[in-house]
This record gives sequence, C-alpha cells and structure tokens, in this order.
Amino acid sequence: MREVGIVGIGHTKFGKSAVPYLDMCCNAALEAMDDAGAKTGRKNVIDQVFVGTMGAGMVNRLSGAASAVVDTLNLRPAMAETVENGPASGASALKLAYAAIASGMCDCVLVIGGEAMREVTGWEGTDFVATMLHPTGEYPYGLTLPAFAGMFTRLCMDKYGVTSRDLSIVSVKNHDNACLNPNAHIHSRVKLERITDERYIAATNPLVADPLRQYDMCPVSDGAAALLLVAKDKQEELGFGHKPFIKVAGIASATDTHYVADREEPSDLLAVRLSAQKAYKMAGVGPEDIDVAELHDAFQILEIAESEETGLFPRGSGHLAARERKTEIHGEMPINTSGGLKAKGHPLGGTGVSQIVELVKQLRGEAGDRQVKDAKTALAVNFGGFGNNVVSTVLKAE
Amino acid sequence: MEQMYAYKCTKCGKLHHPRYIVCQNPDCDGREFEQIPLEGKCKLLTWTRVYNLPEGYMMPWLNFGIVEFENGVRATGQIGFDDGIKSGMELVSSVGVIRTKVIKYKETVEEPVYGFVFQKA
Amino acid sequence: MLKDYDVIIDEMEGKLRPPTVGMVPYEPKVIPLTTGEDMLVREASREELVMIMDAIVPLFNHPKDYYDIVAARIYTEILGMLRYRVQDEYFFVGAVDGEIAGIVNGRLVNEKVGMSYHTMTLKRGVRVGAQLFAAKMEYHFDFMNQDEVFIVAESPNGFKRWMIEYELEPRFECPHELGGVPTFVLTRALWEKHKANKNVGIRPAFEDVIEANKVLHMPAKINV
Repeated sequence: MREVGIVGIGHTKFGKSAVPYLDMCCNAALEAMDDAGAKTGRKNVIDQVFVGTMGAGMVNRLSGAASAVVDTLNLRPAMAETVENGPASGASALKLAYAAIASGMCDCVLVIGGEAMREVTGWEGTDFVATMLHPTGEYPYGLTLPAFAGMFTRLCMDKYGVTSRDLSIVSVKNHDNACLNPNAHIHSRVKLERITDERYIAATNPLVADPLRQYDMCPVSDGAAALLLVAKDKQEELGFGHKPFIKVAGIASATDTHYVADREEPSDLLAVRLSAQKAYKMAGVGPEDIDVAELHDAFQILEIAESEETGLFPRGSGHLAARERKTEIHGEMPINTSGGLKAKGHPLGGTGVSQIVELVKQLRGEAGDRQVKDAKTALAVNFGGFGNNVVSTVLKAE
Repeated sequence: MEQMYAYKCTKCGKLHHPRYIVCQNPDCDGREFEQIPLEGKCKLLTWTRVYNLPEGYMMPWLNFGIVEFENGVRATGQIGFDDGIKSGMELVSSVGVIRTKVIKYKETVEEPVYGFVFQKA
Repeated sequence: MLKDYDVIIDEMEGKLRPPTVGMVPYEPKVIPLTTGEDMLVREASREELVMIMDAIVPLFNHPKDYYDIVAARIYTEILGMLRYRVQDEYFFVGAVDGEIAGIVNGRLVNEKVGMSYHTMTLKRGVRVGAQLFAAKMEYHFDFMNQDEVFIVAESPNGFKRWMIEYELEPRFECPHELGGVPTFVLTRALWEKHKANKNVGIRPAFEDVIEANKVLHMPAKINV
C-alpha cells in the first residue's frame, strides 16, 4: 500500500465558538490548507473531503456537512462525505482518508473534525450525547456518558485501588498543559489541594456521577481541527515537498459490546486494547516506541485506563504512573501534552482530529513550550460511545 | 406494569438482555429467541449517583447500577433507593417508570417508559 | 457618590422608610476556589454598592444568559437600599484580591420568611454563583433563623442550580416579588438536607484575605 502522511494542520480555538458551525469547520480547513500551501478553485488538488461530526445534523441542523464544506471552500468537484462515529468521528474520518489514499483512489484528502455543542443547553447536549448509548437497554433510563464513566471509575477503584486524588492529579496536569496551548478551551491552572481537600471538596469539586467529580471530566466545547493528507509518492508533484511528511504509520479501530453490562470484564476497555494492538502491528512498533500520546480523557479515569490498555503502562498501574508524574510533558511517557479533552476541550467530532494536530506539532518539533524532546513516534486514542468503537493511530516523523 | 424479559436463543440456549437479532454466542447463529421473565434477586456490580441529568429529568440526582441476575444475565437500570448503596449488595429487581417524557422529532411528549428499578432485597 | 443619596430625614421621610425586623451581621467567610485563589464573602458597604451600581450599567445591553435583566434589577434593588425603600435588604459580595467576583442580595419579608433576589457572577467558571447563593441561604437560615425563602430564577442555569439541585418546593400560589413568576421555596428541611453539600467556607476568615479585600473594585472589563 502507498505511504500516507500529513502535510497540513489547522485548529480553531476551542471553547465557545463565535462563528457558526460551517464557518468554524472551514476556518480549520483553510488553516490546514494554508499550512501545506494547498490552493482552492482551479488550482485545487484535493480529491476528497471527510468531515467527522457527531451532531451537525442533530444539534446544528446541518446534514451533509462535508458537501457544504466543499462548496463553501470552492473545492468542487472533490468527493465529500460526512463521517459519524460518535466522539470518535474525527479519527474515523482520518481512517477513511488513509484508506482512500492508500488504496490509490485519491492522492490528497482533507479531513475536518468539528462540533458546535454550545448552541444547545447543557441538558439538551447531555441528552444528545446519550443517544449513542444502547437504544433500549441504556438510553431510556436516563443514563448518560458520565453515568457509565462513574460506574467504570468505581470498578477501577475497587479493583486497582485508583483514588479520587489520582483522577485529580491527571486533571491538574492536563490543566497545566492546556495553559501552554493557545487553542485550549480552559486556560487556568488548578491547585490539587483545592479540588481534593475534604473540607471544601463538596463546593469546589462537586460530585457529578459519584465517584466522579466535576474536575474528573471534560467540558462541553465548540471547535474544529483539520488535516491535509497526501500520498508520499505525490507529495512533491502536488506542491507539498517543502513540508515535513508525518506518516500515518498505523491506524485501526475495534468495537465492543454496545450494552456495557454485557462486557465479560466490565473494567476492561477491549476496543482500546484491540485497536491499539492493530495500529502498533501495522506501524511495526510497540508501546515501548511511543514518545508521546494523546489519549481520550473525556473522563480522567479513561486517560489512566487507556494508558494501560495501550500498553504504555502495565494493567492496574496507570494511576501510579500519574502519581509519580511520569505522564507530565517532561516525564518518561508524556500524555495529553495538548491539555487533553479535560482542558483543551472536547468538541466531539473535532477531538480525534485535534489529537492528531497536537501529535503532528510534537513530531514536527513545533509544540513550543509543551514540546516533548526528540519525539519521533506518537499514539492517539479516540474513544467512541462508552468504548464500543475506538480508533487508535500511530504517527511517525519521517 | 410491564414485564422485563431475558431472551433465550432457541438454538443454543444462551440468555440475552436486551433483545438481539442474532445470538451473541460466537459459536451460534441463532435468530429465534424465547422470552423469559427477567426478575428476582440480583447482585449489584457497580453503581453511580448522577447529579447532572439529561433533558426531561427534573430531580437533583438519580442512582444507576449494573446488576447480575442469578441466571448470569447482566442488566443496567435505575436504583430505587438512596441509602446504603454498595457494590456487591443483593438487590431485587422491580419494573417502574424510568422516564416520563419521550423526545421525538420536533416535540417532547408525555409517555411513560418502563424498565428496571432495582430495590433493596 | 454615596452622598448623592443623602437626604434629610424629616418627619415625612421617616414615615416613608420601611420598618425592620432587626438584621444580624453576616460573619465573613473564606471560600477556596479551584484556581487556588481565596474568595472572601462579606456584606457590601453602601459605598461599594454605589460603585457596583455604576459598574453594572453596561450589562443592561448584555442579553446573554439574562445578564441584562439581572443587572437592571440589581441596579434598582441597590437604589432601593440606598434610598431606604426596601425593607431589610442585604447585599453580599464575593471578592478575590480586592476584585468583585460576584454579588448576591435578598431581603427579609418578616422574621420567618425571606425573599431571595439575585445572584450575579462576574468571575465565571469557578462556581462563584453557586457559592454565593449558598451563602445567602445560610444567612436566611443559619443567621436569621428563618423558616423559608422564596426563590425565582431568571435563567435556565439558575433554575437548574436552585430549583432542581435544592429540590425547591413549588408554591405557585404565592407570587414572588420579582414579577410574580412561579415561586419556589427553600424550606428549612430542604436546607438541612442539602447544606452539607452546598454551603462551605472557612470561619473565622483569614486575616490576610480580609485585608486583601478591604478595598474593593469591579473587574476592569466585565467579561461574561
């Protein structure tokens, strides 16, 4: 198969978007195209556009987002498809872009992930996100993603001794990292003792889904990110020869039971493990080769569990690694240098693409104050549903 | 009051909840199921109390849990009491209203939905 | 200027002024914010109220999250207090390093019933509003020993924070002073049930935090 790599990246400021959904996606796309030097109109070389979004149709009342983007950016007659895989829509869009180029169908593909969640109230948003749960066995009960994260956290606490303080340690780290990321949603440092001290924890860090607290989960964000991918054998010819080629070395997804209660071991995230193993195999690397990782910490417990399921740390020790500060930017295994979903923000369909943007910056050596030294190989995990459809990606600096 | 069911594959006998179209036993391809009442004693595997409820729930919190019935079937549901919830405790399942409003395209209608509400054994 | 509101208390003015049930002072407390900052919650002085009044005028044109109506109503409620035209009104401020982070107010209807007015957050995202609302309920129940407080919400955020999280009792037959919109009531029983999770603060307040908030100012730019 042909080698596929990233030559352009774009990213809006996450948070509350000042512009409509479509504009936000187009702004990220143009930034990625300008980064690579891609042109519009008659000079366009983009064969295909994929837009990853969970709620454009449902929340923003815009169906066929990719068709709208292609037209707005004057990229016609490029092919266009909208991709939906819940909060992993972004990485799924990247996976399809990879396949489109590797197969020879396309030479150059634009991937956009974007979500504008803040157009609706928190209650409506919570309900909308919960629609990806099992349609008869879970959603009608009023169950939500935080509810499952709460139940999952309790299992991990009982089984591995993870504490509420461990979750706060991860949260504080990600807030610190986000302060170094101009595109992050939240730019405020959080003091560990303020969100853990028993005397006032009820007020500063209230329970949201017992035992999960407010600082153990991500905010609701608007935002978009974009990537321009090309075939290695066409990079020069299409005019992107001057940009570093960040290779998509491995990309794979895996699914797990929709009904979470049906999982043989409910404290496992099987789809994370399987997708990471497949992506490693495709890239010819192992967890020991990973220099920096962006893991899907919609809930802080997920950063810990994913760091184990992807083999970065042994099972049951991810929280210990966090306690020992191993996952900080200058630690031995930096995780979520961008601030993660916790503090960079989590615009559902935007997240998977945003993770890749961060890793491309790391591999290009353009991450500024949050640069991981000598980063050559990177891992991203984008988590859909409550872990029932997960995409893992391995990137390599060429 | 509605009854909750497990769905027994008529080919291999595997019990399911909720309902599937194809048997979940990897070595079976059954497509027919017999409904068997799913009720009685169960054990709480994990639980949570959720304070940020979605649209349609006007209450400060709701408790949810995953249980395992004596026949091995696992199910998710609401927990119908507040005090003394602990993982591993024995519960008994009941059927109750788990939602009073259903969100449809363009409108939200009053329509009770029934499901598991686990009670103290 | 506060002196603009000074009038000679002649016989007529004396008759216009409302009676009082006798308010006890609110003891200041320190609430630690997640950012690591300490917020002092204390009563606002009359001078500070004049400053707040001037500073919130730009919010009259800020419809987002109902800041317009809340600011306009707070403005008149401050006037009511400065002009002695509201019975037993109180104003508390939350402040961090001398900068006002939020304002709450309300009044006593009689010895047993309180009327909650407004909660306005100027420093958003660190639970200032929730803390200040709890502080005023603390005043009604734990300082003034009242039985119940009438509450309404102007915004959906408020409705969720107060009506749902405190499980307020609907009492629509008793119109609230704020426009007669449906009234909800925080009863003593509900307060006792929820206060452990809602009402925090360190007393006596740390001396350095009191000192840092002796002189208050509004944020240079109100960014809500």
